[in-house]
Amino acid sequence: RRGLGVAAGPPNTRQLLEAEEAAPVFQYAGKAARRKDRVFVWGFSYSGALGVPSFVRPDAGWKKPRRIQPTPYRLETEEKISSAACGYGFTLLASNTRDITKVWGMGLNKDSQLGFQRSRGDRTKGYEYVLEPSPVPLPLEKPQQTRVLQVSCGRAHSLVLTDSEGVFTMGNNSYGQCGRKVVEDEIYSGSHLIHQLKEFDSRVVQVVCGQDHSLFRTKKGTVYACGWGADGQTGLGHYNISSVPTKLHGDIAGVNIVQVTSYGDCCLAVSDEGDVFGWGNSEYLQLASVTETTQVNVPRHLPFKIGKIKEAACGGTGNAVLTEEGNVFVWGYGILGKGPNLIETAVPEMIPPSLFGWSEFSPDIRVAHVRCGLSQFAALTNRGELFVWGKNLRGCLGTGRMEDQYFPWRVTVPGEVVDVACGVDHMVSMVRSFT
Amino acid sequence: LNAAPGRAPRQRVRFLPAPAPGGGGAAELVAAKVPVLADHPLVRGPRFRKLKIGAGHRLDVKASGVFVLGIGHGNKLLTDLYNCHLTKVYTVGGLFGKATDDFSDTGNLVEKTTFHHITREKLERILAVIRGTNQKALLMYSNIDMKTQEAYELAVKGLIRPMGKSPPIITAVRCLQFALPEFQLEIHCLHETQQYLRKMVHEIGLELKSSAVCTQVRRTCDGVFTVDDALPRTQWNLQSIQEAIRNCQLKVETELEKTLG
Repeated sequence: RRGLGVAAGPPNTRQLLEAEEAAPVFQYAGKAARRKDRVFVWGFSYSGALGVPSFVRPDAGWKKPRRIQPTPYRLETEEKISSAACGYGFTLLASNTRDITKVWGMGLNKDSQLGFQRSRGDRTKGYEYVLEPSPVPLPLEKPQQTRVLQVSCGRAHSLVLTDSEGVFTMGNNSYGQCGRKVVEDEIYSGSHLIHQLKEFDSRVVQVVCGQDHSLFRTKKGTVYACGWGADGQTGLGHYNISSVPTKLHGDIAGVNIVQVTSYGDCCLAVSDEGDVFGWGNSEYLQLASVTETTQVNVPRHLPFKIGKIKEAACGGTGNAVLTEEGNVFVWGYGILGKGPNLIETAVPEMIPPSLFGWSEFSPDIRVAHVRCGLSQFAALTNRGELFVWGKNLRGCLGTGRMEDQYFPWRVTVPGEVVDVACGVDHMVSMVRSFT
Repeated sequence: LNAAPGRAPRQRVRFLPAPAPGGGGAAELVAAKVPVLADHPLVRGPRFRKLKIGAGHRLDVKASGVFVLGIGHGNKLLTDLYNCHLTKVYTVGGLFGKATDDFSDTGNLVEKTTFHHITREKLERILAVIRGTNQKALLMYSNIDMKTQEAYELAVKGLIRPMGKSPPIITAVRCLQFALPEFQLEIHCLHETQQYLRKMVHEIGLELKSSAVCTQVRRTCDGVFTVDDALPRTQWNLQSIQEAIRNCQLKVETELEKTLG
């Protein structure tokens, strides 16, 4: 105890320890702290596809319009988004909630690919550009019980898959890609029509949109297709359009298909035994391993000796597959990911796993998913890291640079990436925070 | 060092007068090898009056571990080793629950937090992010054009390294021990300072919604020199130093040749 007339002096060790013991303890993470689910977007924003209106129409004086978002930007959503899809200038986000609003859309809506978005100025007309995520009005019979499982977007049409009410299609139908009869001179802008498809041999479990065609995969392992077929992408044996979903045969007849993929005019399907089948456009050597023709209109088995295939992804000119061991193989044309020297190959080439972070210190890193945009590739590892490569069209790779990327490059996302959807000039990712 | 037997004195051929055989008279010149007087120890003096000792990468007061010194001509090798930009390995110990102003456990306390929610899995996730961002920095600061085939091949082999000035980059990190509230990391890094490593421990604490201070920074490897080559305090004598220099000579030469060509 010091006297009244004595100065304090520097604190000695005992005083410091006592002060430390008496200091209050702060708690930043309580018992109910959970990892949060977030959505990140990046790429070209003037179409509204990123869902941030202040990039297109700044709402404060100091803000400037942002044409390109070069790095991941967080998008605030009302619900947890379980599925996302990027089309050609528009995006669909879906949540598997039982609430009435299950699907949100943003971006181009000139063909009503986001449904009818009623304009606030004129209640009879719809918006042609939707700048922020707006609810898509689906004509559900039981809106408070049905869940939306998956969404998919093509050039000007989109598909919504529900668990008990079939598939809903909306958007452009000039080639029958929405699964209904083509109406001559139909005006798609501001249209309220959303078609429902229910007649398949069993429940539909995956929907995929190509550029102007649609693919449906059912629980029994069969594949149905409709839409533009001039490159044989419908796989129905002819090069005409088809406006009713029809079953595919060829080499996949009787095979249990577990995944289909398409984004441009080429399609790939993976069977439960690890085989891959392809049909559609082959101008860029995508199917050159089995045929010299540039259009294949019947599914053909691709005899690759690279092991059992777990997942496939089709881009505009290049394809990628993921094997059971976690290796990524690419083939086709364009920037394939093995440096600037590899521009085209008809036979799959492996991308070295060291480019995805594999090393002696982390030997258990594997690629878990592959995705394709029109001329980009994305790979997700089991540690939640996102790698992108390909043509950097309007900043869609998210690397922060505007140059093309010739080998896999890490995208810095503040969280563990769970899924990513690639479009033509933008990408959307679903991310879980770290803690 | 000065007590050790030195160089033998130089010999020179001189023509010395020697008495002629048979006595008396003129002296003859006979060639003889005699040591040069200039090399005599009393003329020359001690061989070493001072030693030039240079230090390698800095190690601050609160850290410990391998510290490389160069003696005499070895100083030139030190500059070459610096230009090789080899990685250093540290063992960093941390403690959750406290935050101090200089990021170490001897600083002034800033804040105390809870840490019971931290698991090894969460720490591994943060370490994965650190690895990822530093990998990107490694590629960016190496000043190679990403569009060339050469860049692709180096990236595949993992040989891309910044060969010039760059901010601190961590090439590898992993968790050695985890026992709340303490944890230990092994960090491989380039161009770093020990305070940067302490700051990193503090930032790991912040990311995990808690706080952390650094209790120990120990350098276990500096380029080619490891803890096994290092001499502890008890062995700071001439014989051990000479033996250590001899043992490391080969390693240093091969490393310099490999990197600088």
